[in-house]
Amino acid sequence: MSAIELRQVSKAYGDLAVIDALDLSVEGGSFVSIIGPSGCGKTTLLRVLAGLEPATSGQLSVDNRPPEEARRRKRVAMVPQQPGLLPWRTVRANARLLLDVNRAANPVDALTPELLLAEVGLGDFGAMYPHELSGGMAQRVALVRALALHSPLLVMDEPFAALDEITRSEMRHLLNRLVEGKAVTVLFVTHSITEAVALSDRVLVTSARPAQVVADITIDLPRPRSVDVEDDPRFFELCADVRHALHRGNGTTATGGGA
Amino acid sequence: MKHRVLAPIVGILCFLGAWELLVQLNDVRPFVLRAPSRVVDNLFSYPGTYAEAAWVTLQHAYFGAALGLAGALLLAAPMAASRFVEHAVHPVLTLVQVTPFVAYIASVVLWLGPGTRPAVFIVGLVCLPAFAFAAVDGMRSADPAARELLASVDASRWEVLWRLRLPSALPSLFTSARYNVGLALIAAYLVEGGNYANEGLGAIGKKAALFPSTRDAADALWAAIFAMAILGTVTLLVLSVAQRALMRWHVSQRPQLR
Ligand SMILES: Nc1ncnc2c1ncn2[C@@H]1O[C@H](COP(=O)(O)OP(=O)(O)OP(=O)(O)O)[C@@H](O)[C@H]1O
Ligand SMILES: [Mg+2]
Repeated sequence: MSAIELRQVSKAYGDLAVIDALDLSVEGGSFVSIIGPSGCGKTTLLRVLAGLEPATSGQLSVDNRPPEEARRRKRVAMVPQQPGLLPWRTVRANARLLLDVNRAANPVDALTPELLLAEVGLGDFGAMYPHELSGGMAQRVALVRALALHSPLLVMDEPFAALDEITRSEMRHLLNRLVEGKAVTVLFVTHSITEAVALSDRVLVTSARPAQVVADITIDLPRPRSVDVEDDPRFFELCADVRHALHRGNGTTATGGGA
Repeated sequence: MKHRVLAPIVGILCFLGAWELLVQLNDVRPFVLRAPSRVVDNLFSYPGTYAEAAWVTLQHAYFGAALGLAGALLLAAPMAASRFVEHAVHPVLTLVQVTPFVAYIASVVLWLGPGTRPAVFIVGLVCLPAFAFAAVDGMRSADPAARELLASVDASRWEVLWRLRLPSALPSLFTSARYNVGLALIAAYLVEGGNYANEGLGAIGKKAALFPSTRDAADALWAAIFAMAILGTVTLLVLSVAQRALMRWHVSQRPQLR
């Protein structure tokens, strides 16, 4: 079964059609990026999948359940664009925030936030407060906070958009290291072609609002991916494919052409 | 940092010095204005009396403020969650805020009986609106990203209130607490003047006002005024310490650039 299944899903705010009859199926354990023009409905799609917002019409399942139920069972972990750390909680306490609420739904195999913090290089910073962290460190805490849930689905909304280029590149290799070989399915929204290609098994390119998938590009780079993958000629080819698809998507009749 | 301690002391001493001079040079009538030296002298002549009265007033003000805060939080949680509730409760709180409580002290004393209960009740009522408005504002200011995050794991209303909304309201609650210090003390003082218990600084002040021409009355009145000022100052200090302890994470508690 697919981890995410959308059939003819639409979402409108009043008269504004944000998502229009979208079909999408994401295989369990894969890393899928969504890249598309600003305002096309990517965040809306993630919020619908996370059960934060009902779809206007269509059928969708997340982890083989309706999104609302997946949300109640803590099956979806979010990493927002802003880290959203609580300033009165230490790094350690922020990392366990999602485990501290709705405890009844915690999985038996929840991960220990302390160990994850150590894994992302924040082992010595557990007692610090968010205002003492750099942007990259804060976003790593947000990542740990989501991973600690050990949920089958991870949705990330431009999590590295606010970071500088060097930190972003560190973060994508960290993320690859954290999710590769794990059963987790990742849906990753980004504006960065490099990021999408470096991280993904599949890149979905969407058109302007209402969002349509105009290209579905398979990223056949080998895993595990090291930092060197970004020097691979295939990497550049794939980046070019995504870029072309993005340009075509801005035209009128573009349809899904693969890699 | 030395001037943080020194400067206020210098300022207050200058103020008291000027006051002393004014009274000494102009022969002001005692009830109108007493020289600080006489007031201090009187305070130290009957330390037990004033300490006891101040202790009573302090309890009225603190228990009343605690009652007001508790009521405000109970109101603020549904107000922050629902615009309808907010729009329904807001005018009532405004009404409470703008109605001079002095006007209904006698009625409340009649209702609750003489003594502590009307004092605590009126102080609570007086503190309620500012606390409630501040709590609503603070709870609403909670980071939307954090709210969404908690919603994404189906945190209950209580969890959101306790883990997110209440801590978010701390800064504005402290600001309103500073504003309420004066109100709470005034309310306690005035109710003590009218609750037939003959306790507290307000009772001393009230008795003194019955005989404004005597020197003893003037002494008592001004001693009560000084004691009130000390209560207010100590309370603000306590608030600052509490704020520093509870809000180390907040911008306002960090070293500032000049
Ligand atoms: N709660 C809402 N009410 C009304 N309109 C909304 C709401 N949320 C989003 N929209 C509209 O839906 C459209 C898509 O918004 P969305 O945030 O999903 O875009 P996005 O693809 O994530 O954009 P970006 O890349 O800039 O983050 C926008 O036109 C926005 O104005
Ligand atoms: Mg967005």
